[in-house]
Amino acid sequence: MSSVNIKNVRKNYGNLEVVHGINLEIEDGAFVVLLGPSGCGKSTLLRMIAGLESVTAGDIEIAGRRVNDVHPKDRNIAMVFQNYALYAHMKVRDNMSFSLQLAKRPQSEIDEKVGWAAKILNLEPYLDRYPRELSGGQRQRVAMGRAIVRNPAVFLFDEPLSNLDAKLRVQMRTEIKELHERLKTTTVYVTHDQIEAMTMADKIVILRDGHIEQEGTPLDVYDRPANLFVAEFIGSPSMNLLKGDVTAHGVQLGDGTVLPLPAAHRARQGQKVVYGIRPEHLMLGAGAKARVNVVEPTGPEMHIYAELGGQEICVVTQQRVAPARGSAIEVTPQLDRVHLFDAESGKSLA
Amino acid sequence: MEGSRPLRILRDLAAITVTGLFMFPIFWWALTSIKPISAVFDKDRVNFFDFVPTFINYGVTLFGQSRSQLAIDEGLGMGVAGADAYDSRQSILESIIISLGATTITMAVSVFAAYAISRMAFRGRGHYLNWVLGQRFMPPIAILVPLVTIYKTAGLRDTDNLYMGYLGLMMIYALMNLPIAVLLMKSFLDDVPKDVDEAAMIDGATRWQTFRKVVLPMVKGGVAASAVLVFIFSWTEFLLSLFLTTDIRTVPVKIQTFVTSTGNEWGFIAALGTAAIIPSFIFILLVQKHLVRGLTLGSLKE
Ligand SMILES: Nc1ncnc2c1ncn2[C@@H]1O[C@H](COP(=O)(O)OP(=O)(O)O)[C@@H](O)[C@H]1O
Ligand SMILES: [Mg+2]
Repeated sequence: MSSVNIKNVRKNYGNLEVVHGINLEIEDGAFVVLLGPSGCGKSTLLRMIAGLESVTAGDIEIAGRRVNDVHPKDRNIAMVFQNYALYAHMKVRDNMSFSLQLAKRPQSEIDEKVGWAAKILNLEPYLDRYPRELSGGQRQRVAMGRAIVRNPAVFLFDEPLSNLDAKLRVQMRTEIKELHERLKTTTVYVTHDQIEAMTMADKIVILRDGHIEQEGTPLDVYDRPANLFVAEFIGSPSMNLLKGDVTAHGVQLGDGTVLPLPAAHRARQGQKVVYGIRPEHLMLGAGAKARVNVVEPTGPEMHIYAELGGQEICVVTQQRVAPARGSAIEVTPQLDRVHLFDAESGKSLA
Repeated sequence: MEGSRPLRILRDLAAITVTGLFMFPIFWWALTSIKPISAVFDKDRVNFFDFVPTFINYGVTLFGQSRSQLAIDEGLGMGVAGADAYDSRQSILESIIISLGATTITMAVSVFAAYAISRMAFRGRGHYLNWVLGQRFMPPIAILVPLVTIYKTAGLRDTDNLYMGYLGLMMIYALMNLPIAVLLMKSFLDDVPKDVDEAAMIDGATRWQTFRKVVLPMVKGGVAASAVLVFIFSWTEFLLSLFLTTDIRTVPVKIQTFVTSTGNEWGFIAALGTAAIIPSFIFILLVQKHLVRGLTLGSLKE
């Protein structure tokens, strides 16, 4: 177990800089998720930690040791890849023991470790099978088994669940989380799926275009997004973001609708802002008028898509209501849940 | 497969026709090899099956039986003296040695070369395909005359030293086959995700161990397929063998000697030709799956 320290790390491919000076501290035993849209540099950052990509500038430290020039095998890390990267010609047992074999560990130790990992991961019946004879979820578990037998200081996961179907993804999510609870190994987990990030992380680091937009606990970033990008990226359905101007009474939208503001905010009168309110924080009942477009029942709740002040909003309610298309509803934001962003910079004004 | 019924039937017909067209000469060749001479030279009609099959042609070319003796035994009365000129066992042995040797050299080099091209970044890596295609544009006959001179000077002619003669032919076959073998192996290696190499590296494998214990075993089907292809190219090569060696006579060159001043021994030509197809045929069957993949899938990318 150990911490990971990323200090002002940059990465260039040729002349193109894709990671722009990232600073990140990952505490011993933490489960940190790097979250961001495709192409934002998550994998590049992870691969730099692994030693699979060189670091253009800055330092990476694992357990207090600078590892910039250390070979991947000497960094005491283990990595799980999106496509599993299993050794197709080896049985599950040999896939898992490969690193120990290479390290010339005694056979008794190898058997013990593989047995232990197989037990944790429910792979005992499959040890003598080849990867091609396993289901997607089982292959994923073998990849994890290969990682844990070495008892590494850091686990690195690069979108490990992307190739699984939705149901299995949820199940594996829980399994990985449980594994972490059990082993308490420092983990860096890359994903573009915000639900995965929310459910698994101790700390979420949101990346965009090679820099960090925000970091914090899942609820932190959900409740207090630092900017429009984070506000929009986290949460499903995503936050309603309505453009308007600050007036004495609140935020005035294009068509004159005024949405109320909480007492304390940092916006100036007349400032152009984006008014953010999550769908579940819009209450049905006396308030701003909206016209219904579509209603989607999900079971536990209803998602009502409507037009408010010329912009599309979503309302999530647990009431069993299904207003007809074109009918009028009134919505009121929960004042303490309102987010306010500067329209120009996108920064939070809360 | 998609498509309407008439379209499907049409497509099947086309496939059968093409296959038939390609197979017919081989079939005819095989048929000729078991015909008695009277049926081969039936000047009244095209004789398909109206004959008593004979294995005399195989007996003479493959088993060293005396032609005149066999002719008498079978009562064919076509005995010609000068028996063992048609015994091809020595040629078959030489062909096997040279083809196996050439295949070994080619594969030993191409597997490494392809791994480097597939996995490592270096200058000129992207031009590989051009090199291969450029090679293919050049007819072997263009290099023949200088090559004979070079071989003579370098002492690679079998008339000077028999072993060097073997080595010389293996080397030129290996050189000729290297581009296509590397291209094939690269396409097989490209199919192995780079993540696998990286996983092995993180697991503690050196570059060599990664290659030897992880990547190579994952492409062994591809190695077999490429090797078969190289073997067949070497096995059937005629021109270079004809010019570069004198005492060594590979099977294609041997067959050509059956065209003599006193007549063409069609029966022997057909028998040895048919027999020479058989190993290729078996090998191809064994690696068919991989070969089709390697020759189509991604072999021309980058
Ligand atoms: N080997 C490479 N050469 C050039 N550009 C690359 C290379 N690898 C990644 N990139 C670029 O770096 C950026 C970040 O890539 P990546 O880290 O894979 O993103 P993510 O994993 O977040 O989807 C992308 O714009 C990608 O095009
Ligand atoms: Mg990625």
